[in-house]
Order: sequence, then structure tokens, then C-alpha cells
Amino acid sequence: MSIFTSDDKRMSLSDAASIVQDGMTIAVGGGLSWREPMAFLRELIRQGRRNLHVVGTAHGVDVDLLCGAGAVGVIQESYVGFEHDFGMAPNVRRVSESGNVQILDTCCYTVIQQLRAAEYGAPFMPMKSIQGTDFLKLHPEYKTMECPFTGAPLVLVPALSPDVAIVHAQYGDARGNLKILPPLVADMFFIRASKHVIATVEQLVPEEELRAMEPNVPYFWVEQVVEAPYGAHPTSCYPFYAYDRAHLAEYHHAAQAGADVFVRDYLSRYVFEPASHADYVERIGGAMKRATLESWKENDDAWRALFTAQEGAIA
Amino acid sequence: MSEKITHATLPEVMIYQVARTIADGGLVFHGFGSPVPTLAMLLAKRTHAPRMIHVEGATYGVDPEPPFLPPTSNDWVLERGRVITLGIGDLFDMAARGDMARMFLSGAQIDCYGNLNVTALGEPHQPRVKLPGGGGGCNLSGDVQKLTIWTAAHRAPVDKKGVRRFRFVRNIDFISSIGHIARDGRTRAQLGLRGGGPDTVVTELGVFDFAPDTRVMRLRALYPDTTVQEVLDNTEFEPALADDIGIVPMPTAEHVELMRRFDPLHTSELEFRKEDLERRFEI
Repeated sequence: MSIFTSDDKRMSLSDAASIVQDGMTIAVGGGLSWREPMAFLRELIRQGRRNLHVVGTAHGVDVDLLCGAGAVGVIQESYVGFEHDFGMAPNVRRVSESGNVQILDTCCYTVIQQLRAAEYGAPFMPMKSIQGTDFLKLHPEYKTMECPFTGAPLVLVPALSPDVAIVHAQYGDARGNLKILPPLVADMFFIRASKHVIATVEQLVPEEELRAMEPNVPYFWVEQVVEAPYGAHPTSCYPFYAYDRAHLAEYHHAAQAGADVFVRDYLSRYVFEPASHADYVERIGGAMKRATLESWKENDDAWRALFTAQEGAIA
Repeated sequence: MSEKITHATLPEVMIYQVARTIADGGLVFHGFGSPVPTLAMLLAKRTHAPRMIHVEGATYGVDPEPPFLPPTSNDWVLERGRVITLGIGDLFDMAARGDMARMFLSGAQIDCYGNLNVTALGEPHQPRVKLPGGGGGCNLSGDVQKLTIWTAAHRAPVDKKGVRRFRFVRNIDFISSIGHIARDGRTRAQLGLRGGGPDTVVTELGVFDFAPDTRVMRLRALYPDTTVQEVLDNTEFEPALADDIGIVPMPTAEHVELMRRFDPLHTSELEFRKEDLERRFEI
């Protein structure tokens, strides 16, 4: 949707987060427990952002954390939860069941087609599915029509152009070229459809080094680059680190205990008290924690052990 | 090799029933958070359906050989041995053009036509219970050629408040994915949907298909330890009954061994109740 040509797009986390304003529609990259831009979202919470409209496909701790901090006004995702590991998303449930957010549940392909309409510069995309489901009632903005060529019933979904896309890439350079390793989830669609594109990266590398990796996002699609090692924690960001199951267990436990407990036991400890992202990385367990989460590379037994990590395993 | 396997657990017998719905040679996809169909697909491809195209639920990796099933779906563990990782658009486009043979969905509420609710219990704008949502289930339920529904929570015990909360309900609160007949009575053909809809429902009490005339769920087979009465008692609507209700076929020792090799963490048991995990069947 936009073209960005500045030579040096490096920015601090706090400056980049200030691009997101209250009430904006944000597309959060990654999905479920993989490569979500968590450091950026924690900074949004520190800056007190409110009434955000989140859009995406299947997500987890990212959207639940924003809901637990009272930062969300509208949820337009296809799923938010902790799958078969921890189950439902406690903060999403709380804000949904109290009527404090607008529920605009959607479906993966519907979101992709809406983003594609924006990418294509088209006003809408026609779809054959959705018919017969209650998503038509939940979304009065969807229209139905008879196909002028075949006479078949169609659902038209409008173009969706988020205000800001936030993705977490493994590698990036100062000009904004990115190498995102798959699964890419909806990141490429978010990047091409959004008005502003912010990338946090595990490693900022010289441009020649990034070119040798064959970037999959060109510099002119990216507006800001922020280096944030461990920026996806507690979700995984291979080949660097695996899912921090012990941390997520602690998160889920605090979230389930109630809104106040979540603020006291989780948000204070991991979002408000650390003065910077570097402090956060120390707070979650520093070098010992990093060694554990990087041990997946050693062998399958070590990798498997990470998925049985219990709450309380945090140093 | 350990000693000879003589018994299978309920999850293993159920996973085998799900695997039996998979034909050889088509593109098959399981959703995320779905270890039961994941294991069924890994099993089918290594037994009766070697040319089945296995697409992973969140990574979209093709034909993986995972060392174990992790408790989360978008993880590089599930990328091991894959041929390629598809993009989300590639996969859903294939379904939209009619090239997805089968997928698997579950629901917190399931009605007699195979409509599923994974969105909200109560009023959707301010629900009594906000459910996590259905991922791509809404779109895929319309597009996929054939759908298998599964749940390990058919049984409807009385809750703490003395209320019986059925999973198989007469009135569904929200239709997240479409079965055979919509709320307004329209059929899939009248809705212009491409796919054929659900053809099998596998639960911890029995296996169902859909009656060809009414499109209502029809009991076809029980487990050796369940009864028709138990199914009727735990189903709020009245299911059809096949003329020749049988007993589900049992997996072989080879099947069971394969399932245990792929799931050393017992991830596929997470959705089962404790009493169902204790059920054993001679094979």
C-alpha cells in the first residue's frame, strides 16, 4: 500500500511503537505460538495504548496479552487461544464476556481475501464460502450477490488495509530488507496491505550479508526496523529459540486467576517493571533461560524436553 | 522391539476411525490444535493411503515426518522432513478451487446437520462463554470435498450447577462452520457451496454418518463398551439409527505401534476425559 525509500530505517522500540495511535487497526504478525512481535506489543502496553483494533488469523498470547492490558477495542481474528496446551485465552474471554470489546470473529481465508483485495487495489473479493454460517450476521459489512456470469450465490468481503503491520523477522538490514523464515503465516499479506509496516528483527545484519540470504521482503515495503533479540519471546523464533512453555504456563496461570492478579503477577513483573527490552530478557531468566530455549538444536530429546517444561521452572 | 501389543486405548481406537475416513491420493489438511486428526493423517499415510498429500495444520508443511507431536501446532518440530512449506494463500486457494479432499473439524456445539460452533456460547456480541474461534473452518467447511467431524466429549455429564450441557445440541448458538443444512433450511447446493459437507462423525461413544434423505446424523457403529441408549441419553437431538449398527473395527498392532511412535508425549490424549483414557480394547 505504501513505498518507503529512506536509507536508514533503524529506530528504537519506543519510537517505533509511538507510530501506533489509540484506535488504530493493527495487523500482528506470526501466529499461535510462533514469531509474534511480543517485544513491540509490550512496548505498546507500556505506552498505554487503548482501543486498538487487532486483525489477523490464528493467534495466541499476543492478542491475549493486549486484551489483559486493556489495550484492545475490537478483535477481528480467526482464533485466539493456547490450543491443546493451555486451552482458552483467559483475557480474551474476560473482555469479551464483559462486553468490553467488540467481537468481530473472522476466518483465515476471509482475512486473506480481504487483505488481497487491498493488495490488488480492488474494493472487495468474491467468495463462495461463508454462506450458511452466522459470520454473515456478525459482519454486516459483507455483502451477498448473485454472480453476474454464473448466477451462483457469492459473498463479497471488503478490502482490508490495516493502519500498521507489525512483524518479527529473523534477519533484517538498516534499509529494511528482511529475511523471514517460514512458516510466514499472514505476514506477507499484512506487509503488502498495510499503510505502515514496522519490522522488529532478531538480528540486524549488513546489507551484503542479508542479500546473501536472499531476502523475501524488499526494503521499499518496510518503513521502520527495530533490532530486538528475543523479541518474539515467549513465542518461538527458530532457528534461534523455541516456545517458552514454562513462561507460558506462568502467564496462563496468572491470566486465569483474574484481571487483578494478571496485572499484579504478570503485567507488573514482565511488562511495566523492566525499563527496556534488554531488562525484560534478564527478567525472564537471562543467560540460563536463553541456553535452555536454544537447546532444541542439540537433539530431539532436548527439544522434546522443552515441551514438558513445567511452571516454576523459571529461575 | 517391546513386547507384543494386545490392547489399544480409546484415543488410539478413535484415531483409527478418523484415519479410516482418509482416502489415498488426495490433499488432506488438519486444522491447528488438532492432534487427533494429525495422528490419523500420519497413520493413514503410512498404511492405507501412501499417496495422500499431508498438509500440516499451522505450518502448512507438506508430508512431514515429525519426531514427536508438540502441544502447539505452529512449531518447527512439525516441519521436520517436509517437502515444502506452503503459504497460507496457496493452501486456502486449493480448497477454494475444489482441490482439498478432506479436512477435520470439531465443535463445542454440534447440531444434527453437522453445523459446528466454536465461536461463542450465548449471544455472540456479549457471550456467556467466548470460545477461541474456528481458524479457517468456516471457509473450509464450504469448500472442502469431504469433512470428518470428531470430538472426545460427546458424553454430557451434569455440571456443578446441575445443568446438563450437551455437545450435540438441538439449537446451535452460532454456526461457525456449515454442515448439511443452514438455519434458514437451505441445503449446501442452494447455498452454492462447492464441497459435499461432513460424511463422518467420530466420538468417544460411536461413529456416525448422515442419513441420505434427511441429512441428520445417523449412528452406524458403537465401541465394544458403549450402547445405543448411552448415545441417545447424551445427544440432545434425536439421531437417526442405522439398520445394522455394528462395532467399530479395531486397529492392528502395527497401527498402534505407529501411533505410539509419533506421539511419545501423549499430546493426542489431551482432549480426552480421564475415565475415557482408562478404556482398553483387545485388538
